[in-house]
Amino acid sequence: MTFKTLIIDAEKCSGCRSCESYCALKHEWACNPAKGRIHVVKWEQEGIFVPVNCMRCEDPACEAACPKGATFRNFITNAMSVDHGSCIGCMSCVFACPFGATYVDQETGKILKCDLCDGDPTCVKVCPTGALTFEEVSAEVCRKLVGNADKIPALVRQAVGEEG
Amino acid sequence: MHGWVGNILKVDLSGGDVKTDAIEPYVDKYIGGRGLGVRLIYENFVPGTDPFDPANPLIFNTGPLTGTALPGSGRVDVTALSPMSRLRAKSNFGAYWGPELKFSGFDHLMITGKADKPVYLWINDGKVEIRDASNIWGKDTFETQKAIQAELGDPEIKVVCIGPAGERLVRFACLITETGDAAGRTGMGAVMGSKNLKAIAVRGSGTVSIADPQAFLEISIAINNEIRQHPAYQELSQWGVARGVHMMYQMGFFPVGYFEDVCWDEILEKYAAPDYVQKHQVKNTGCFCCPNRCMNFLSVPGIGKGVTSCEPFSGFTGAVWNLDMDTFWEATLLVNKLGMDCTETSASIGLLMELYHDKIITEKETDGIPMERGSKDAILETIKKIAGREGFGDLLAESQMVFAEKIGPEAVEKVDIVKGLAPHAYEFRSFKGTGLMQAVGHRGDPLPLRGSLLEVDWHHANDWFQQVATEQYGAPEAAIPTSYVGKAMSAVVSEHMERVADNFGVCKWLYGLFIYNDVNMICKVFNTATGKDWGIEEILKVSERVRNLERMFDVRQGLRRKDDSLPKKFFEQPLEKGPYTGEVLDREKFEQMKDEYYEIRGWDKSSGIPTPEKLAELDLADVSSG
Repeated sequence: MTFKTLIIDAEKCSGCRSCESYCALKHEWACNPAKGRIHVVKWEQEGIFVPVNCMRCEDPACEAACPKGATFRNFITNAMSVDHGSCIGCMSCVFACPFGATYVDQETGKILKCDLCDGDPTCVKVCPTGALTFEEVSAEVCRKLVGNADKIPALVRQAVGEEG
Repeated sequence: MHGWVGNILKVDLSGGDVKTDAIEPYVDKYIGGRGLGVRLIYENFVPGTDPFDPANPLIFNTGPLTGTALPGSGRVDVTALSPMSRLRAKSNFGAYWGPELKFSGFDHLMITGKADKPVYLWINDGKVEIRDASNIWGKDTFETQKAIQAELGDPEIKVVCIGPAGERLVRFACLITETGDAAGRTGMGAVMGSKNLKAIAVRGSGTVSIADPQAFLEISIAINNEIRQHPAYQELSQWGVARGVHMMYQMGFFPVGYFEDVCWDEILEKYAAPDYVQKHQVKNTGCFCCPNRCMNFLSVPGIGKGVTSCEPFSGFTGAVWNLDMDTFWEATLLVNKLGMDCTETSASIGLLMELYHDKIITEKETDGIPMERGSKDAILETIKKIAGREGFGDLLAESQMVFAEKIGPEAVEKVDIVKGLAPHAYEFRSFKGTGLMQAVGHRGDPLPLRGSLLEVDWHHANDWFQQVATEQYGAPEAAIPTSYVGKAMSAVVSEHMERVADNFGVCKWLYGLFIYNDVNMICKVFNTATGKDWGIEEILKVSERVRNLERMFDVRQGLRRKDDSLPKKFFEQPLEKGPYTGEVLDREKFEQMKDEYYEIRGWDKSSGIPTPEKLAELDLADVSSG
């Protein structure tokens, strides 16, 4: 079975936060980037911007941490989903995520998890730079993912001034 | 409410009082952003108040579309009484501060009074705190933002601040957010400095409600995609204006020096901005939710990092006879860090270079620095002296005119200013409509007015743009730079279209360039966001009302027809070079264009004041010139 996944190339990101804003509009029907399921970490004085989104891990820490089994994989889209009916709002998944990519609505306590818009991500439609793409998983895409995963820590170290 | 978050925050720095007023009573007449800001300053400014008096209100205005998931929704309009023109100030900045103000619960912020000691304002999800700024006073704009984010422990706080120039009341000091997004013109940094206010920090997690979110999402994605298909996008999102500026020089639209020349051979051959950008560009960046990212983020070893866009690419090159791009970048970073308007600064340096070149001054009048054309020392030292108010810089910090008066009548003759400000550096002798828009304009902003852009665009496809001019302004000549025909109508229509974007709180460059000729789209965006059911006539009626109220504010300050003019150079010294050799403004025809403009506007031709009938028609009967 083949499936598509969201790929982040932080080097291309211009930091515009369209992804956050359109995500919140699509899922929460309001304009509020704080309710986005993707978040751009910005070092604006360095020109470094890193979009952070669910990585859909093979062995997801969010799923393992959930005491109620409310976090599960949607095998149609490969996205991790939250069953809000059984979620008790303990935020274990938020703290367990090694990427900080599980978010919570500060107003309501609701867990905000990227569902890849059921296989047609809104953020990708509006990302102007190609920092976000949605591609079929192939050997080439796997290489891209690994390459990007390597780049991000280097960018962050550069942003905080640890290396050039 | 939808679109608007509903609140005007009013802070009095003298007593520390904070209160909130409802926005709702204003929105049907003024929408928001610039328009509502005009009403606020008209009501809250007491005639006779000095720009540096604590009672001069400094007002930040977002619109109903600011902070929404829509391209270009990052803009904020700023107003006060300008310390340069003593007319209504108007400046506008982008980036991320405006949306954050709305997420924290406010559409508008009005600051009056003066703090006893340096302070900054901290607006956090509706809570307002006036905090001590004594340890950041003196810091540059980059350091200030970092220091406040560190003090409050949150790197996502958005800060707009002044630099040392604003603290020292340099009359054209500006506001800066991030590394180069500026409320550049009309001296807003000086007004903020006069209040002992170093910065305004904002953080919000609130929501901008949308009346019909599904329809809004659909149209907003379509606008995002349409912009990205546009040929201008291909250029601007990769190069910013770095390459376009060379075209402007070639066309003779940008003058060289202090309006002394056009088509300087050397700049046409050696203009190195595109190479410089290619070599040092990290990437292009832009404002909140904007696909266009028209700013170049440059990182130059030994000089520094930051963004730049339009003005410095000509202001610190041709306007000061400079071809060295390192000097351009050093000057750009300096004015942004010190917090000074690039346009006024480069014009001031241009004046010094003209006076020196014409032997009206020697290095004695400029603290021993020879003001040779293009000299790196002259450019950088003048910037530092103005910001520090040292020596001759102290006079220039007051204005070009104050410096010239100190030199004598020969120098005064040379000063090119319009309504107290350096005019935009466009060649008004050949671009007649652009000249009219500069002269009669509220602040004088030919670009990005559509009518001025049309005179530029015309060069690329004469017939096509003449047809556009016929459709939009009723005369093909409106597109032809050297014609006086149709320019008054193109000025009026363009001014109304410009205010649509300004009142909504979106970028008028983006919408002027790409989208807003589509009136159905304007209405649909506004109505789906706010829940109103307005047609284009109602939206443009607000623009006309705003234009007239702006005029009445300035009339109350003493502005009359005679102030709607241009420096005499443009009427007396024909161009000696370039594609428009021999062009000069004909005084009589220029005044006829103005007559035509006032007539279309319903303003009295002899005084330039809106007639009582016009004001009554616009529901502005309560507004008077007294």
